[in-house]
Amino acid sequence: MIRIWQRFDVSLLKGKSATILILMVMFFVCLISVDWSELSPHGGGRSSIWTILSGFTTLDLSREFMLIALESTWITVTYSFCAISIALVIGIIGGLLASGTIFESWLGKLAGVVGFRVVLALIRSIHELIWAWFIAIVLGFTPISGVIALAIPYGAIIARVFADFLNDVPEAPLRSLRSSGAGPIKILIYGRIPLASRDMVSYGFYRFECCVRSAAVLSFIGLPGIGYQIAVSLEDLNFGQVWTLLLFLVGLVVSVDYWGSRVRRNMME
Amino acid sequence: MIKVKTNSFLRVSFVIFLALCGLSWVYLMSTAHMSVVNDDIFASSFEFVGKLVGKGLGRDAAGLSWESWSRAFFLGLTTVKMSILAIGLASLPCLLMLTPATRTLVFENVEGVRSLINKFFFYLFKGLFTLTRSIPEVIWAMIIILILRPGILTGALALAIHNFGVLGRLSSEVVENMDEGPVRSLRSSGASSIQVLFYGVMPEVLPKFLTYVLYRWEVIIRTTVVVGVLAADGLGREFRLSMSWFHYDDVGVLIMAYIILVLTVDAVSAALRRLSN
Repeated sequence: MIRIWQRFDVSLLKGKSATILILMVMFFVCLISVDWSELSPHGGGRSSIWTILSGFTTLDLSREFMLIALESTWITVTYSFCAISIALVIGIIGGLLASGTIFESWLGKLAGVVGFRVVLALIRSIHELIWAWFIAIVLGFTPISGVIALAIPYGAIIARVFADFLNDVPEAPLRSLRSSGAGPIKILIYGRIPLASRDMVSYGFYRFECCVRSAAVLSFIGLPGIGYQIAVSLEDLNFGQVWTLLLFLVGLVVSVDYWGSRVRRNMME
Repeated sequence: MIKVKTNSFLRVSFVIFLALCGLSWVYLMSTAHMSVVNDDIFASSFEFVGKLVGKGLGRDAAGLSWESWSRAFFLGLTTVKMSILAIGLASLPCLLMLTPATRTLVFENVEGVRSLINKFFFYLFKGLFTLTRSIPEVIWAMIIILILRPGILTGALALAIHNFGVLGRLSSEVVENMDEGPVRSLRSSGASSIQVLFYGVMPEVLPKFLTYVLYRWEVIIRTTVVVGVLAADGLGREFRLSMSWFHYDDVGVLIMAYIILVLTVDAVSAALRRLSN
């Protein structure tokens, strides 16, 4: 056993061990400082564990409920498609601006990039459901508010990542374009965008997968969808229905993930 | 000009994606009650932002008082605590489960040790990762609140369950795409299972796992406030109370504290990532 540790490549893991150590210390400090009595179930909590689990054996597969589940799944799907379509538009425009590749002078580049990236960071730092709450206060508690609320932070994240993709393309093809006299816009259209497109499509699809999950919990501001149905069934303490809906949600997420992974695999070939 | 490669699957996917986007918009527009939407969006937005900074209250806005900032600071500490507990509770079991999952994969084509039990555990873990990952934190919080008292740990648990699945999926992808060369050469030079795990698997998986943990921590700190609204602790609880009392100037302070908190955690996580590279 000792020899294993002796031969363990220390130099490779030095910074990593330090990081792990810091994370561990942070975790244990929090573990100690927390009030553990909180973790004991409240009155009736113990019996509700059993009730919740046994709900799995009484799945509600009646025709009416299946229709409700299908409809709410469809509503969630439509919200996520609407949101991601706006977010992609924001992301592409924002990505171009934040990458600084369309500016000619270095001053415009600096101002555009720094200013825009700060704005993107601020937008991103607020969770989509908090956005939803604010926007719903202004626009009313309608599906449009939910869609806009998902699109804003998602657009900001996509813009940041697309900007990085556009900046990180290999230099050699760009140099040859530049030497043949192409300006920034031409380099962008013929060089950067085609070179980054594979990563951009993969990431865009990955974001769509996340968007489906976020759209499911727009019930947070009272919008219909699968999260709303789950909340309703939870309030009725009808755990058979809860489990049925959870299985619908899992099925939805898994199938979107499968589609995404197929797309990514096809992009890589 | 650089050509972008496509194939028929990608083209069909693209068309289906666009068609579903169009269909969704039609459905949304046909069901949404547009009349509820305010006529003058810009005026009402400015009015709302004005309320957040405490305009026209008749008293001093919360943003100007030292007390509300210090209160927001301590609530922020609770929120950070919740996020650290969540990422710890998510990553430690994930790391423990990764070891058997890795072993099954790594030794599969070397020895044929892939027994029925190994296979069973492998698919059990995969299924567990999928189930926990597909259900968002908010729904986990709604379920857990039926069992546990609201508080930091309850919120952390809801966040941990979802992120356990996310981390598990990300890191099992690392294991599946791992370069088999080092493992095979270790095997052929007579290394034991433990040695293979330490020299062949861990050096490859651990750095990426660490990156994912830090990345998820950044996501968790953003979500902690939302879960806090349901699990009733930290910034989230105060946020909900201030919202329902229409104390929008308090909400403004809390949101500012939230943004500062998120940017700080992002900076710490970036520093740790640089340290580990």
